[in-house]
Amino acid sequence: MGLPLQYAVRNLLRDPSRLAQTVAGSGLVVLLVMGAQSLNHGMRETLRASGSPRTVVLLGAGSEESIQRSEIADRAAGIAEASIAGIETVAGRRAVSPEIQYMTPLHAAGRLRRSGFLRGVTPAALLVHPDVALIDGRFHGPGEVIAGRLAWKRLGVRPEDLRPGSTIRFDNTDLTVSGVFAAGGTVMESEIWADLNDLRTLARRETLSCVMIRLQPGADPADAELFTRQRLDLELSAMTESAYYEQLARFYAPVRALTWLTAALIAVGAVFGGLNILYAAFASRIREIGTLQAVGFGAPALVASFIQESLLAAMMGTLFAGFAATALSDRLTLYFTTGAFTLSLTPVGAAAGLAAGLAMGLVGAIPPAIRCLVPPLPQALRAA
Amino acid sequence: MNPTDTPLIRCRDVRKSYRKGETLVTPIESLHLDVPRGEFLALMGPSGSGKSTLLNLMAGIDRPTSGVIEFDGQPIQDLSRGHLAAWRARHVGYIFQLYHLVPVLTAFENVELPLLLDPMPRRERRERVEAALALVGLAHRMHHFPRELSGGEEQRVAIARAIVANPPLLVADEPTGDLDRDAADSVLGLLRALSRDHRRTIVMVTHDPRAAAVADRVLHLEKGRLLEGAR
Repeated sequence: MGLPLQYAVRNLLRDPSRLAQTVAGSGLVVLLVMGAQSLNHGMRETLRASGSPRTVVLLGAGSEESIQRSEIADRAAGIAEASIAGIETVAGRRAVSPEIQYMTPLHAAGRLRRSGFLRGVTPAALLVHPDVALIDGRFHGPGEVIAGRLAWKRLGVRPEDLRPGSTIRFDNTDLTVSGVFAAGGTVMESEIWADLNDLRTLARRETLSCVMIRLQPGADPADAELFTRQRLDLELSAMTESAYYEQLARFYAPVRALTWLTAALIAVGAVFGGLNILYAAFASRIREIGTLQAVGFGAPALVASFIQESLLAAMMGTLFAGFAATALSDRLTLYFTTGAFTLSLTPVGAAAGLAAGLAMGLVGAIPPAIRCLVPPLPQALRAA
Repeated sequence: MNPTDTPLIRCRDVRKSYRKGETLVTPIESLHLDVPRGEFLALMGPSGSGKSTLLNLMAGIDRPTSGVIEFDGQPIQDLSRGHLAAWRARHVGYIFQLYHLVPVLTAFENVELPLLLDPMPRRERRERVEAALALVGLAHRMHHFPRELSGGEEQRVAIARAIVANPPLLVADEPTGDLDRDAADSVLGLLRALSRDHRRTIVMVTHDPRAAAVADRVLHLEKGRLLEGAR
């Protein structure tokens, strides 16, 4: 049997400021780990959910990394519709959606301009993007837009500022919101969709960004690629939507790695800070530790007690971080060029945070504990 | 030879030396000493004479550079640090000049510490702690923390901690050195009673002739060697 748990608990309370520093340091690290995991998970899942292998994107050759930079001729949509085999047909209409994707500053609710993502579409867009469903209002007509259910976050306004009947301003033109749509957790939920012709005029564009085509189940996307090779005059490139978002996910991989690196660097700093605090805490008790050894407690019992003490502090930090993460979960929205996602605490994130807290408690205690047990016992008993 | 005739502690040609910078310090030199069972032995001598070092060697707190220390016929000088800790838990109760109570534990919890090293039912542990505290006259103070006790009371708690596991040897390093006369007399009376009534073997280091007077035998050390003067 080792030292009683209350020994570790009461030692923690000996110096409240030292305890506060340890708890704050471990809590910060745990929160960062949870945040980094949440960010990575959110971005990955949003991009993963955003692509369908049955949807082919025709975009300008050489613009495969960004639809927004792509420019293709207006006539490409009609030619593709007539030439590509296996296009899905819904209620007699072919699922071919010519689109303009455009990032521009927007005013909403009289607030400062924030960058918004506009997609100019025709009603055929609903055939190509089956995840999109209106949850309020109706599809837009000329002079109107429909807003993704998370677009308000991106524009920094309240949800009611993008409800049907409200307006957004693009340059000097007011566009009325006619509806709100959900899109199955994809990046489109932070977009604003406008009439294709309106956006062509407002953005002063004579070209499309892309043509989206929905294929029948079992149809081969290679047919679309073959089409782009046959019609070199259109200067097109074809890729499935899922491949496009996978490529985008790879593009953001360094950003995601950076979040882990930042969390790791801060964690290393916090571990060293924690080590210093525990060195000081244990060093101030060298005589007491010597006394316990004189009574008969061996090094394993003492190290176990130090680890208990360190783990308790780290777990308090982890608990606070868990509360903070739960409170912030689903409230913070992050944006990237093509979309937005909400940070949320996942079971994996909670487990990662808990693991980080446990690791800090363990790693933080062992070196100071060993150092305090090194002095010969007679010397420890004479320590001040 | 009857086992009870064997001295509890037997030191043969014990030497302890260590380096302090460039200098080799030898606090104990070629020391021979037997401590019979049940004896109350006082070690006296000037500062630096080696009496605390000798006490630490007999208590398994320190190890000799050479020579043999037998406890109950078993050599202890070669035990590893871990084995020595386990040996101390079973065989030695240590009383320090400055009490060395753990400040975050109550008197009861301090006294209970040695009993945590052996598997024992909680009720038995409680009874033994209460008995030890009653023996030192502090049953009514068992839930007080050391900061709430006087120096004399702290030392009596330390004595209760030393005796609670019933070790064959009690060692005391200047147990009255930090106490006023009344408290010192109380502590010495307690040690005397433990020796006389409970047949405990006690080795005490002291500067104080009044303290040494309660012992069965007094040995003087000087420069690491025992002088004549046993009584």
